[in-house]
Amino acid sequence: MRFMGNAAAILRKDILLELRGRESLSLMLFLSLLLLVIFNIALDLDKDSVSSLASGILWVVFAFSGILGMGRTSMAERDEEAYLSIVFSPASPESFYIGKALSNFLFLLIMECFTMLSFVILFDFEKIIGLLPQLLVPLVLGTIGFSLVGTLFSFLTTASKYGEVLLPFLYLPVVVPVILGGVTSMGMVLNGNAGGTWKWIQMLAVFDVLYLAVSLLLFRYLMED
Amino acid sequence: MKTDRSITIIFLFLLVMIPLNFYLIFMVAPTEKVMGEVQRIFYLHISLAVGAFLALTGVFVSSILFLWKKKFIWDTAAYTCAEIGVLMSTLVLTTGSIWARPIWNAWWTWDPRLLTVLILWFIYIGYFLLRGGIADKFKKAQYSAVLGIIGYIDIPVVRYATKWWKSIHPLLTQEGGGLDPVMKNIMFFSMATFILLTIFLFLFRFRLARIEERLEIVKKRMED
Repeated sequence: MRFMGNAAAILRKDILLELRGRESLSLMLFLSLLLLVIFNIALDLDKDSVSSLASGILWVVFAFSGILGMGRTSMAERDEEAYLSIVFSPASPESFYIGKALSNFLFLLIMECFTMLSFVILFDFEKIIGLLPQLLVPLVLGTIGFSLVGTLFSFLTTASKYGEVLLPFLYLPVVVPVILGGVTSMGMVLNGNAGGTWKWIQMLAVFDVLYLAVSLLLFRYLMED
Repeated sequence: MKTDRSITIIFLFLLVMIPLNFYLIFMVAPTEKVMGEVQRIFYLHISLAVGAFLALTGVFVSSILFLWKKKFIWDTAAYTCAEIGVLMSTLVLTTGSIWARPIWNAWWTWDPRLLTVLILWFIYIGYFLLRGGIADKFKKAQYSAVLGIIGYIDIPVVRYATKWWKSIHPLLTQEGGGLDPVMKNIMFFSMATFILLTIFLFLFRFRLARIEERLEIVKKRMED
Protein backbone atom coordinates (compact mmCIF):
# COMPACT_ATOMS: atom_id res chain seq x y z
CA MET A 1 0.00 0.00 0.00
CA ARG A 2 2.98 2.27 0.76
CA PHE A 3 4.08 1.66 -2.82
CA MET A 4 0.88 2.90 -4.40
CA GLY A 5 0.76 5.77 -1.94
CA ASN A 6 4.17 6.96 -3.11
CA ALA A 7 3.15 6.55 -6.75
CA ALA A 8 -0.02 8.54 -6.08
CA ALA A 9 2.04 11.30 -4.48
CA ILE A 10 4.14 11.59 -7.65
CA LEU A 11 0.99 11.62 -9.76
CA ARG A 12 -0.50 14.32 -7.55
CA LYS A 13 2.67 16.38 -7.84
CA ASP A 14 2.61 16.19 -11.65
CA ILE A 15 -1.04 17.15 -11.86
CA LEU A 16 -0.41 20.06 -9.52
CA LEU A 17 2.56 21.21 -11.60
CA GLU A 18 0.43 20.98 -14.72
CA LEU A 19 -2.38 22.98 -13.13
CA ARG A 20 0.09 25.66 -12.08
CA GLY A 21 1.07 26.04 -15.67
CA ARG A 22 4.13 24.06 -16.60
CA GLU A 23 2.35 23.73 -19.90
CA SER A 24 3.45 20.31 -21.09
CA LEU A 25 -0.16 19.25 -21.64
CA SER A 26 -1.11 22.42 -23.48
CA LEU A 27 1.89 21.97 -25.78
CA MET A 28 0.76 18.42 -26.54
CA LEU A 29 -2.77 19.54 -27.34
CA PHE A 30 -1.51 22.33 -29.51
CA LEU A 31 0.82 20.02 -31.45
CA SER A 32 -1.90 17.44 -32.06
CA LEU A 33 -4.22 20.10 -33.45
CA LEU A 34 -1.44 21.38 -35.67
CA LEU A 35 -0.61 17.86 -36.88
CA LEU A 36 -4.24 17.25 -37.85
CA VAL A 37 -4.17 20.40 -39.98
CA ILE A 38 -0.91 19.31 -41.59
CA PHE A 39 -2.37 15.87 -42.32
CA ASN A 40 -5.36 17.43 -44.00
CA ILE A 41 -3.14 19.60 -46.18
CA ALA A 42 -0.78 16.74 -47.02
CA LEU A 43 -3.40 14.10 -47.75
CA ASP A 44 -6.26 16.26 -49.02
CA LEU A 45 -8.80 14.18 -47.11
CA ASP A 46 -12.37 13.81 -48.31
CA LYS A 47 -15.33 11.91 -46.90
CA ASP A 48 -14.33 8.56 -48.45
CA SER A 49 -10.62 8.53 -47.73
CA VAL A 50 -10.96 9.79 -44.17
CA SER A 51 -12.66 6.61 -43.01
CA SER A 52 -9.82 4.34 -44.07
CA LEU A 53 -7.06 6.71 -42.93
CA ALA A 54 -8.56 7.97 -39.65
CA SER A 55 -7.03 5.34 -37.39
CA GLY A 56 -3.54 5.74 -38.88
CA ILE A 57 -3.63 9.52 -38.67
CA LEU A 58 -4.84 9.44 -35.07
CA TRP A 59 -2.07 7.10 -33.94
CA VAL A 60 0.68 9.07 -35.64
CA VAL A 61 -0.60 12.17 -33.86
CA PHE A 62 -0.80 10.26 -30.54
CA ALA A 63 2.76 9.02 -30.95
CA PHE A 64 4.32 12.38 -31.80
CA SER A 65 2.38 14.51 -29.34
CA GLY A 66 3.06 11.85 -26.72
CA ILE A 67 6.81 12.01 -27.32
CA LEU A 68 6.73 15.76 -26.85
CA GLY A 69 4.83 15.54 -23.57
CA MET A 70 6.74 12.63 -22.04
CA GLY A 71 10.10 14.14 -22.93
CA ARG A 72 9.15 17.29 -21.10
CA THR A 73 7.87 15.70 -17.92
CA SER A 74 11.11 13.73 -17.53
CA MET A 75 13.33 16.67 -18.29
CA ALA A 76 11.51 18.50 -15.50
CA GLU A 77 12.83 15.86 -13.08
CA ARG A 78 16.39 16.29 -14.31
CA ASP A 79 16.26 20.09 -14.21
CA GLU A 80 18.04 21.24 -11.10
CA GLU A 81 18.36 17.55 -10.25
CA ALA A 82 14.91 17.32 -8.72
CA TYR A 83 14.97 13.54 -9.06
CA LEU A 84 17.82 13.36 -6.52
CA SER A 85 15.38 14.14 -3.76
CA ILE A 86 13.48 11.04 -4.82
CA VAL A 87 16.65 8.97 -4.95
CA PHE A 88 17.46 9.98 -1.39
CA SER A 89 13.92 9.57 -0.12
CA PRO A 90 12.77 6.22 1.29
CA ALA A 91 10.37 5.82 -1.66
CA SER A 92 11.45 3.05 -4.04
CA PRO A 93 12.49 3.89 -7.62
CA GLU A 94 9.71 1.58 -8.81
CA SER A 95 7.01 3.59 -7.08
CA PHE A 96 8.50 6.72 -8.64
CA TYR A 97 8.37 5.03 -12.05
CA ILE A 98 4.75 3.98 -11.59
CA GLY A 99 3.82 7.48 -10.49
CA LYS A 100 5.46 9.02 -13.54
CA ALA A 101 3.90 6.40 -15.83
CA LEU A 102 0.48 7.15 -14.34
CA SER A 103 0.84 10.88 -14.89
CA ASN A 104 2.08 10.30 -18.43
CA PHE A 105 -0.85 7.95 -19.03
CA LEU A 106 -3.30 10.55 -17.78
CA PHE A 107 -1.87 13.35 -19.92
CA LEU A 108 -1.68 11.12 -22.98
CA LEU A 109 -5.29 10.06 -22.55
CA ILE A 110 -6.45 13.66 -22.24
CA MET A 111 -4.47 14.54 -25.36
CA GLU A 112 -5.93 11.56 -27.25
CA CYS A 113 -9.53 12.41 -26.34
CA PHE A 114 -8.89 15.98 -27.38
CA THR A 115 -7.35 14.82 -30.68
CA MET A 116 -10.30 12.55 -31.43
CA LEU A 117 -12.75 15.31 -30.66
CA SER A 118 -10.83 17.71 -32.92
CA PHE A 119 -10.81 15.02 -35.57
CA VAL A 120 -14.58 14.71 -35.40
CA ILE A 121 -14.98 18.46 -35.78
CA LEU A 122 -12.31 19.13 -38.39
CA PHE A 123 -13.10 16.18 -40.62
CA ASP A 124 -16.81 15.95 -39.99
CA PHE A 125 -16.36 12.37 -38.85
CA GLU A 126 -19.04 11.73 -36.27
CA LYS A 127 -18.72 7.97 -36.56
CA ILE A 128 -16.06 8.08 -33.84
CA ILE A 129 -18.54 9.23 -31.19
CA GLY A 130 -20.94 6.35 -31.76
CA LEU A 131 -18.15 3.78 -31.76
CA LEU A 132 -16.38 5.22 -28.73
CA PRO A 133 -17.09 2.27 -26.38
CA GLN A 134 -15.44 -0.14 -28.82
CA LEU A 135 -12.56 2.22 -29.53
CA LEU A 136 -11.85 2.68 -25.87
CA VAL A 137 -10.26 -0.73 -25.20
CA PRO A 138 -7.49 -0.54 -27.83
CA LEU A 139 -7.03 3.14 -27.04
CA VAL A 140 -6.47 2.56 -23.33
CA LEU A 141 -4.28 -0.52 -23.82
CA GLY A 142 -2.18 1.28 -26.43
CA THR A 143 -1.83 4.31 -24.21
CA ILE A 144 -0.67 2.14 -21.31
CA GLY A 145 2.02 0.71 -23.61
CA PHE A 146 3.01 4.19 -24.78
CA SER A 147 3.33 5.55 -21.27
CA LEU A 148 5.22 2.51 -19.88
CA VAL A 149 7.87 2.59 -22.62
CA GLY A 150 7.83 6.38 -22.86
CA THR A 151 8.43 6.92 -19.16
CA LEU A 152 11.37 4.53 -19.12
CA PHE A 153 12.90 5.88 -22.32
CA SER A 154 12.44 9.53 -21.49
CA PHE A 155 14.56 8.87 -18.40
CA LEU A 156 17.14 7.12 -20.54
CA THR A 157 17.48 10.19 -22.74
CA THR A 158 17.83 12.62 -19.85
CA ALA A 159 21.41 11.41 -19.33
CA SER A 160 22.32 12.32 -22.88
CA LYS A 161 23.49 15.76 -23.91
CA TYR A 162 20.98 15.54 -26.78
CA GLY A 163 18.15 15.21 -24.27
CA GLU A 164 14.59 14.94 -25.54
CA VAL A 165 15.72 15.14 -29.16
CA LEU A 166 16.93 11.56 -28.81
CA LEU A 167 13.60 10.24 -27.54
CA PRO A 168 11.84 9.55 -30.87
CA PHE A 169 14.85 7.57 -32.14
CA LEU A 170 14.74 5.18 -29.20
CA TYR A 171 11.04 5.21 -28.52
CA LEU A 172 9.42 4.80 -31.93
CA PRO A 173 11.08 1.51 -32.99
CA VAL A 174 10.23 -0.12 -29.66
CA VAL A 175 6.56 0.90 -29.71
CA VAL A 176 5.99 -0.36 -33.26
CA PRO A 177 3.85 -3.25 -31.92
CA VAL A 178 1.64 -0.77 -30.03
CA ILE A 179 1.18 1.45 -33.07
CA LEU A 180 0.48 -1.60 -35.23
CA GLY A 181 -2.05 -2.99 -32.76
CA GLY A 182 -3.69 0.36 -32.14
CA VAL A 183 -3.96 1.37 -35.78
CA THR A 184 -5.24 -2.02 -36.90
CA SER A 185 -7.81 -2.58 -34.19
CA MET A 186 -9.18 0.96 -34.24
CA GLY A 187 -9.25 0.83 -38.04
CA MET A 188 -11.25 -2.38 -37.86
CA VAL A 189 -13.78 -0.84 -35.48
CA LEU A 190 -14.15 2.29 -37.62
CA ASN A 191 -14.68 0.23 -40.76
CA GLY A 192 -17.30 -2.05 -39.26
CA ASN A 193 -15.18 -5.12 -38.52
CA ALA A 194 -15.09 -5.03 -34.74
CA GLY A 195 -14.98 -8.84 -34.53
CA GLY A 196 -11.40 -9.02 -35.81
CA THR A 197 -9.92 -6.85 -33.11
CA TRP A 198 -9.68 -9.49 -30.39
CA LYS A 199 -6.22 -10.83 -31.24
CA TRP A 200 -4.83 -7.31 -31.52
CA ILE A 201 -6.27 -6.44 -28.15
CA GLN A 202 -4.61 -9.54 -26.73
CA MET A 203 -1.34 -8.49 -28.33
CA LEU A 204 -1.58 -5.02 -26.80
CA ALA A 205 -2.31 -6.53 -23.39
CA VAL A 206 0.68 -8.87 -23.65
CA PHE A 207 2.89 -5.93 -24.65
CA ASP A 208 1.69 -3.92 -21.64
CA VAL A 209 2.29 -6.72 -19.15
CA LEU A 210 5.72 -7.49 -20.61
CA TYR A 211 6.86 -3.87 -20.52
CA LEU A 212 5.48 -3.33 -17.06
CA ALA A 213 7.57 -6.25 -15.83
CA VAL A 214 10.72 -5.24 -17.74
CA SER A 215 10.46 -1.59 -16.70
CA LEU A 216 9.95 -2.46 -13.05
CA LEU A 217 13.06 -4.64 -13.23
CA LEU A 218 15.23 -2.10 -15.02
CA PHE A 219 14.11 1.33 -13.84
CA ARG A 220 16.17 1.29 -10.65
CA TYR A 221 19.35 1.18 -12.72
CA LEU A 222 18.51 4.60 -14.17
CA MET A 223 18.34 6.04 -10.67
CA GLU A 224 21.82 4.86 -9.63
CA ASP A 225 24.45 7.52 -9.86
CA MET B 1 48.29 -12.93 -24.04
CA LYS B 2 45.85 -15.80 -24.37
CA THR B 3 43.30 -13.92 -26.48
CA ASP B 4 46.03 -12.90 -28.91
CA ARG B 5 46.84 -16.51 -29.66
CA SER B 6 43.20 -17.53 -30.10
CA ILE B 7 42.68 -14.55 -32.45
CA THR B 8 45.61 -15.74 -34.56
CA ILE B 9 44.33 -19.31 -34.66
CA ILE B 10 40.82 -18.27 -35.69
CA PHE B 11 42.30 -15.93 -38.27
CA LEU B 12 44.28 -18.76 -39.83
CA PHE B 13 41.15 -20.90 -39.98
CA LEU B 14 39.21 -18.11 -41.64
CA LEU B 15 42.01 -17.57 -44.13
CA VAL B 16 41.17 -21.01 -45.48
CA MET B 17 37.44 -21.12 -44.78
CA ILE B 18 36.33 -17.84 -46.39
CA PRO B 19 37.84 -18.47 -49.85
CA LEU B 20 36.68 -22.09 -49.63
CA ASN B 21 33.18 -20.93 -48.71
CA PHE B 22 33.01 -18.67 -51.76
CA TYR B 23 34.37 -21.44 -53.96
CA LEU B 24 31.68 -23.80 -52.70
CA ILE B 25 28.93 -21.22 -53.15
CA PHE B 26 29.87 -20.20 -56.68
CA MET B 27 31.47 -23.32 -58.12
CA VAL B 28 30.15 -26.39 -56.33
CA ALA B 29 26.60 -25.55 -55.26
CA PRO B 30 24.05 -26.51 -57.92
CA THR B 31 22.03 -23.73 -59.52
CA GLU B 32 18.53 -23.52 -58.12
CA LYS B 33 15.81 -24.48 -60.61
CA VAL B 34 13.37 -21.62 -60.21
CA MET B 35 15.42 -18.70 -58.95
CA GLY B 36 18.61 -19.37 -60.84
CA GLU B 37 22.03 -17.94 -59.98
CA VAL B 38 20.75 -15.23 -57.67
CA GLN B 39 19.67 -17.88 -55.17
CA ARG B 40 23.37 -18.31 -54.27
CA ILE B 41 23.12 -15.14 -52.19
CA PHE B 42 21.06 -17.19 -49.71
CA TYR B 43 24.23 -18.83 -48.44
CA LEU B 44 25.53 -15.42 -47.39
CA HIS B 45 22.19 -13.89 -46.43
CA ILE B 46 21.23 -16.61 -43.98
CA SER B 47 24.74 -16.96 -42.56
CA LEU B 48 24.88 -13.20 -41.96
CA ALA B 49 21.53 -13.38 -40.22
CA VAL B 50 22.89 -16.10 -37.94
CA GLY B 51 25.94 -13.93 -37.21
CA ALA B 52 23.75 -10.90 -36.47
CA PHE B 53 21.57 -12.94 -34.14
CA LEU B 54 24.63 -14.23 -32.33
CA ALA B 55 26.07 -10.74 -31.91
CA LEU B 56 22.81 -9.20 -30.68
CA THR B 57 22.36 -12.04 -28.21
CA GLY B 58 25.85 -11.08 -27.06
CA VAL B 59 24.65 -7.51 -26.42
CA PHE B 60 21.75 -8.83 -24.37
CA VAL B 61 23.83 -11.19 -22.24
CA SER B 62 26.67 -8.69 -21.71
CA SER B 63 24.16 -5.98 -20.76
CA ILE B 64 22.63 -8.20 -18.09
CA LEU B 65 26.09 -9.10 -16.81
CA PHE B 66 27.05 -5.43 -16.62
CA LEU B 67 23.99 -4.48 -14.58
CA TRP B 68 24.65 -7.41 -12.33
CA LYS B 69 28.44 -7.27 -11.85
CA LYS B 70 29.12 -3.58 -12.65
CA LYS B 71 32.37 -4.50 -14.38
CA PHE B 72 33.26 -2.30 -17.34
CA ILE B 73 34.57 -5.27 -19.26
CA TRP B 74 30.92 -6.29 -19.84
CA ASP B 75 30.08 -2.87 -21.19
CA THR B 76 32.97 -3.17 -23.64
CA ALA B 77 31.71 -6.60 -24.65
CA ALA B 78 28.17 -5.25 -25.10
CA TYR B 79 29.03 -2.39 -27.43
CA THR B 80 31.52 -4.52 -29.34
CA CYS B 81 28.74 -7.02 -29.98
CA ALA B 82 26.35 -4.21 -30.91
CA GLU B 83 28.78 -2.89 -33.53
CA ILE B 84 29.06 -6.33 -35.11
CA GLY B 85 25.30 -6.80 -34.88
CA VAL B 86 24.61 -3.52 -36.68
CA LEU B 87 27.19 -4.37 -39.36
CA MET B 88 25.76 -7.84 -39.95
CA SER B 89 22.11 -6.78 -39.94
CA THR B 90 22.93 -4.01 -42.42
CA LEU B 91 24.44 -6.68 -44.66
CA VAL B 92 21.41 -8.96 -44.12
CA LEU B 93 19.14 -6.17 -45.36
CA THR B 94 21.44 -5.39 -48.28
CA THR B 95 21.85 -8.97 -49.49
CA GLY B 96 18.12 -9.57 -49.07
CA SER B 97 17.36 -6.53 -51.15
CA ILE B 98 19.69 -7.64 -53.93
CA TRP B 99 17.98 -11.03 -53.99
CA ALA B 100 14.48 -9.55 -53.88
CA ARG B 101 14.91 -7.31 -56.93
CA PRO B 102 14.83 -10.12 -59.54
CA ILE B 103 12.68 -12.56 -57.54
CA TRP B 104 9.98 -10.35 -56.00
CA ASN B 105 10.47 -7.63 -58.59
CA ALA B 106 11.03 -5.06 -55.85
CA TRP B 107 13.95 -3.90 -53.73
CA TRP B 108 11.79 -3.83 -50.66
CA THR B 109 8.44 -5.15 -49.53
CA TRP B 110 6.68 -4.66 -46.22
CA ASP B 111 6.97 -8.27 -45.26
CA PRO B 112 6.92 -8.97 -41.50
CA ARG B 113 10.40 -10.45 -41.40
CA LEU B 114 11.88 -7.58 -43.36
CA LEU B 115 10.13 -5.12 -41.13
CA THR B 116 11.35 -6.93 -38.01
CA VAL B 117 14.98 -6.77 -39.12
CA LEU B 118 14.61 -3.11 -40.08
CA ILE B 119 13.09 -2.23 -36.69
CA LEU B 120 15.86 -4.16 -34.96
CA TRP B 121 18.38 -2.21 -37.01
CA PHE B 122 16.80 1.08 -35.89
CA ILE B 123 16.91 0.00 -32.25
CA TYR B 124 20.64 -0.73 -32.35
CA ILE B 125 21.41 2.47 -34.25
CA GLY B 126 19.54 4.16 -31.39
CA TYR B 127 21.82 2.29 -28.98
CA PHE B 128 24.82 4.10 -30.45
CA LEU B 129 22.99 7.44 -30.58
CA LEU B 130 22.35 7.06 -26.86
CA ARG B 131 25.96 6.15 -26.10
CA GLY B 132 27.26 9.05 -28.17
CA GLY B 133 25.50 11.63 -26.02
CA ILE B 134 26.51 10.47 -22.53
CA ALA B 135 29.84 11.71 -21.19
CA ASP B 136 29.90 9.91 -17.85
CA LYS B 137 31.44 6.46 -18.23
CA PHE B 138 29.33 4.66 -15.66
CA LYS B 139 26.07 6.22 -16.82
CA LYS B 140 26.89 5.42 -20.42
CA ALA B 141 27.41 1.77 -19.55
CA GLN B 142 24.40 1.58 -17.25
CA TYR B 143 21.92 3.32 -19.56
CA SER B 144 22.98 1.54 -22.71
CA ALA B 145 22.75 -1.79 -20.87
CA VAL B 146 19.10 -1.02 -20.10
CA LEU B 147 18.49 -0.25 -23.76
CA GLY B 148 20.44 -3.35 -24.83
CA ILE B 149 18.09 -5.53 -22.78
CA ILE B 150 14.84 -3.85 -23.85
CA GLY B 151 15.85 -3.79 -27.50
CA TYR B 152 16.46 -7.52 -27.50
CA ILE B 153 13.20 -8.32 -25.72
CA ASP B 154 11.36 -6.19 -28.26
CA ILE B 155 12.48 -8.26 -31.25
CA PRO B 156 10.13 -11.24 -30.69
CA VAL B 157 7.27 -8.85 -29.89
CA VAL B 158 7.77 -6.99 -33.16
CA ARG B 159 8.05 -10.31 -34.96
CA TYR B 160 4.84 -11.57 -33.38
CA ALA B 161 2.97 -8.35 -34.11
CA THR B 162 4.01 -8.12 -37.75
CA LYS B 163 3.41 -11.81 -38.41
CA TRP B 164 -0.32 -11.34 -38.79
CA TRP B 165 0.18 -9.70 -42.10
CA LYS B 166 0.66 -12.08 -44.97
CA SER B 167 4.24 -13.21 -45.06
CA ILE B 168 5.92 -13.77 -48.41
CA HIS B 169 9.36 -14.51 -47.01
CA PRO B 170 10.49 -18.00 -48.09
CA LEU B 171 10.58 -20.51 -45.27
CA LEU B 172 13.65 -22.60 -45.89
CA THR B 173 13.48 -24.70 -42.76
CA GLN B 174 10.01 -26.00 -43.54
CA GLU B 175 11.07 -27.57 -46.79
CA GLY B 176 14.21 -29.07 -45.29
CA GLY B 177 13.38 -32.47 -46.75
CA GLY B 178 13.26 -31.09 -50.28
CA LEU B 179 16.59 -29.27 -50.05
CA ASP B 180 19.40 -30.74 -52.13
CA PRO B 181 21.94 -32.40 -49.75
CA VAL B 182 24.85 -30.58 -51.45
CA MET B 183 23.08 -27.27 -50.99
CA LYS B 184 22.33 -28.13 -47.39
CA ASN B 185 25.93 -29.00 -46.58
CA ILE B 186 27.24 -25.86 -48.23
CA MET B 187 24.69 -23.86 -46.25
CA PHE B 188 25.95 -25.39 -43.03
CA PHE B 189 29.57 -24.73 -44.01
CA SER B 190 28.73 -21.13 -44.82
CA MET B 191 26.97 -20.72 -41.48
CA ALA B 192 29.94 -22.19 -39.63
CA THR B 193 32.26 -19.80 -41.47
CA PHE B 194 30.17 -16.79 -40.53
CA ILE B 195 29.78 -17.86 -36.92
CA LEU B 196 33.55 -18.15 -36.71
CA LEU B 197 33.90 -14.78 -38.45
CA THR B 198 31.55 -13.21 -35.91
CA ILE B 199 33.59 -14.64 -33.05
CA PHE B 200 36.78 -13.43 -34.69
CA LEU B 201 35.43 -9.91 -35.22
CA PHE B 202 34.29 -9.86 -31.62
CA LEU B 203 37.63 -10.94 -30.16
CA PHE B 204 39.55 -8.61 -32.45
CA ARG B 205 37.37 -5.58 -31.76
CA PHE B 206 37.21 -6.39 -28.06
CA ARG B 207 40.98 -6.49 -27.83
CA LEU B 208 41.20 -3.17 -29.66
CA ALA B 209 38.65 -1.61 -27.30
CA ARG B 210 40.66 -2.78 -24.27
CA ILE B 211 43.81 -1.26 -25.74
CA GLU B 212 41.95 2.01 -26.39
CA GLU B 213 40.75 2.08 -22.80
CA ARG B 214 44.24 1.48 -21.47
CA LEU B 215 45.56 4.25 -23.69
CA GLU B 216 42.95 6.62 -22.25
CA ILE B 217 44.13 5.82 -18.74
CA VAL B 218 47.78 6.36 -19.65
CA LYS B 219 46.91 9.67 -21.36
CA LYS B 220 45.03 10.86 -18.29
CA ARG B 221 47.95 9.98 -16.06
CA MET B 222 50.37 11.90 -18.26
CA GLU B 223 48.13 14.94 -18.16
CA ASP B 224 47.92 14.89 -14.36
